[in-house]
Amino acid sequence: MVVKVEKLVKRYNDLIALDHFNLEVKEGEVFGLLGPNGSGKTTAINCILSLLKYDKGNIEVFDKPMAPDAYDIKRDIGIIMQNVAVFDELTVYENIDYFCGLYVTDKEKRKKLVKEAIDFVALNDFKKFYPKKLSGGLLRRLNIACGIAHKPKLIILDEPTVAVDPQSRNNILEGIQKLNAEGATIIYTSHYMEEVEQICSRIAIMDKGKIIATGTKDELKSMIEIGEKISVELFTKVEHILSDIQKIKGVTSVNYENDLLVIKSKRGYNNLTNILDYLKENKISYGRIYSELPTLNDVFLEITGKQLRD
Amino acid sequence: MFLHIFLNRLKCLIRDKQVMFWTLMFPILLATMFKMAIPDVVNLEKFEPIDIAVINNVEYQNNIAFNSALSSVSSKESSSDLMFNTKIVNEEEAKELLKNNKISGYIILNDGPKIVVKESGFKQTILKQFINEYLQVTSQYHNILESNPASIQNFISELGSSESYIKEVSSNNDAPNSSVSYYYALIAMTCLYGAMHGMKEVLSVQANQSPQGARVSLAPTNKLKVFASSILAATVIQILIILILLTYLRFALNLDFGNQIGYIILTAVCGSLVGVSFGAMVGSIIKGKEGLKISIIVSFTMLFSFLSGMMWLDIKYIIANKVPILSYINPANVISDAFYALYYYDTYTRFFTNIGVLCVFSIIFYLITFFIMRRQKYASI
Ligand SMILES: Nc1ncnc2c1ncn2[C@@H]1O[C@H](COP(=O)(O)OP(=O)(O)O)[C@@H](O)[C@H]1O
Ligand SMILES: [Mg+2]
Repeated sequence: MVVKVEKLVKRYNDLIALDHFNLEVKEGEVFGLLGPNGSGKTTAINCILSLLKYDKGNIEVFDKPMAPDAYDIKRDIGIIMQNVAVFDELTVYENIDYFCGLYVTDKEKRKKLVKEAIDFVALNDFKKFYPKKLSGGLLRRLNIACGIAHKPKLIILDEPTVAVDPQSRNNILEGIQKLNAEGATIIYTSHYMEEVEQICSRIAIMDKGKIIATGTKDELKSMIEIGEKISVELFTKVEHILSDIQKIKGVTSVNYENDLLVIKSKRGYNNLTNILDYLKENKISYGRIYSELPTLNDVFLEITGKQLRD
Repeated sequence: MFLHIFLNRLKCLIRDKQVMFWTLMFPILLATMFKMAIPDVVNLEKFEPIDIAVINNVEYQNNIAFNSALSSVSSKESSSDLMFNTKIVNEEEAKELLKNNKISGYIILNDGPKIVVKESGFKQTILKQFINEYLQVTSQYHNILESNPASIQNFISELGSSESYIKEVSSNNDAPNSSVSYYYALIAMTCLYGAMHGMKEVLSVQANQSPQGARVSLAPTNKLKVFASSILAATVIQILIILILLTYLRFALNLDFGNQIGYIILTAVCGSLVGVSFGAMVGSIIKGKEGLKISIIVSFTMLFSFLSGMMWLDIKYIIANKVPILSYINPANVISDAFYALYYYDTYTRFFTNIGVLCVFSIIFYLITFFIMRRQKYASI
């Protein structure tokens, strides 16, 4: 087990930020920690890294107890914090070199590693730039390069794509998959379910300091009652339609909002044709119609009763 | 590793424009303004006789040699070529006069002349110099005077004129006239601004103070080792700055530090250590944004400098008299007092006492910093 957290409790005065939090991350995974803002993702990461004191619990990294002076463990960890952590007075190159130098003392070896890190985040044209001159996306990429230059076995990224343009976001997500392909275990926190679905092999969903579900994205989706979700654009009065559709077998909920009729069915029922037939028979005109499979948001919604992103 | 951190921290400090402004440019600008605003040499022509008193006791009345020596350099109506404006009073009156700043000091004869002063300054130095000279010359003339009272004239001429005194005080001890005092306070201020560098270095390694610090704390190295090399970088930068300032004062503003330059540099270096350690302490105690810490350091430094007489010299003496403890716990005052001690005292006791106090400050500040920084885990980040 690369990371093993058992019954972790962390309080900030009266606020319980982590409430018997458990986590197991296996070697070679891209592990996603998905949860809304304030759910305790950063707190969990900081506890795992031994930056924060915690009230109870047990934390092991690489099967050894984690501590601030567990240098043999720390040597193999790379961290990309949610706040950009670079020195404004050092250039892109110097920053990566400085942080890499805290891990790798051999100068020649370090030179090679820094170059690789710069290639990796595609910042070659910006080597001599100071951080203040970089756009949000490029700055995030520099932040990542500083965390991974020493080729760690475990890489922890805490919301690395906040305030990033789509191009940098793709660069970052692809980069993470590449790092994983090269053998690193990844822990990735985010409140964007699309990203987590896209890159993570296993996902834990978090709310209010607790893990509420863990599994692959398919496992998570199969945990919930809801299967298919059908949306129909409608521009007419709908009261009787709502009650009619509700009677179709397998339909669990029908909602009408902003000209959009949303029909959710139980897992295992395929109601798209039934609904199309119903609309045709009753000569109801409609706009677009589409069917979706459940998302992690639906999973979150079903378990917590609220949206992942509000 | 040590060198790697040291060199990179040097770069960071030198390239930080805000901090460089406060620590280097601001003192240079201020010194330049001082130069334009205050005349910087003692003007011998304009020398005013110094108000002093002598206690009228039996020994005074019987000591003809001293009597004539004093009257040869004194006048009752303040005529300009004489050194002292001497009142003959009893001890009570003298104390009263001194208390009310009517005189710079008084002489009491009690088994030889002794001086009593309230503060140290140019005038007091002249008085002291006169007594020293008198004692030296009397020891040579002692026997002759007893056997041949007529030789008293030679004796007096040996004591010399007021002008030669002032010149002597000026050349031997580099005449710390009041304008130089402003520069002392300025150097002290610059030393204390080293706090900026110390503060920055704490910030750069403390996980609960900055994301950069968090990154450093997560590296497989002892944070205190990283800090040691960072703080060394800060100290080196600060000492360079103080040397640049001294060079600027000496060669651009033509300030004469005389032959005591080695001691002056020693003082500036010790002062810089205090400054850097003070900043490290502020940085580790106060949790908050860098801007807040900079304001705190600037405010404290300006307050310390003000109380040590950078803007208004008299405040220094007022504090020394009314709340002497404050003069000792104000590092700016200890630094400038070390400079004074270099000039006003023939022995180095007071100077080295000040240097010792500075070292103690540094040690205390670093101990506090160490105890705060030793923590590796935080309740909150
Ligand atoms: N330093 C702190 N002091 C007090 N409360 C905090 C502190 N840091 C975080 N919190 C609170 O703890 C909870 C979890 O925060 P955090 O771990 O930052 O969540 P996330 O990273 O998932 O957005 C939030 O309610 C937040 O307000
Ligand atoms: Mg967070």
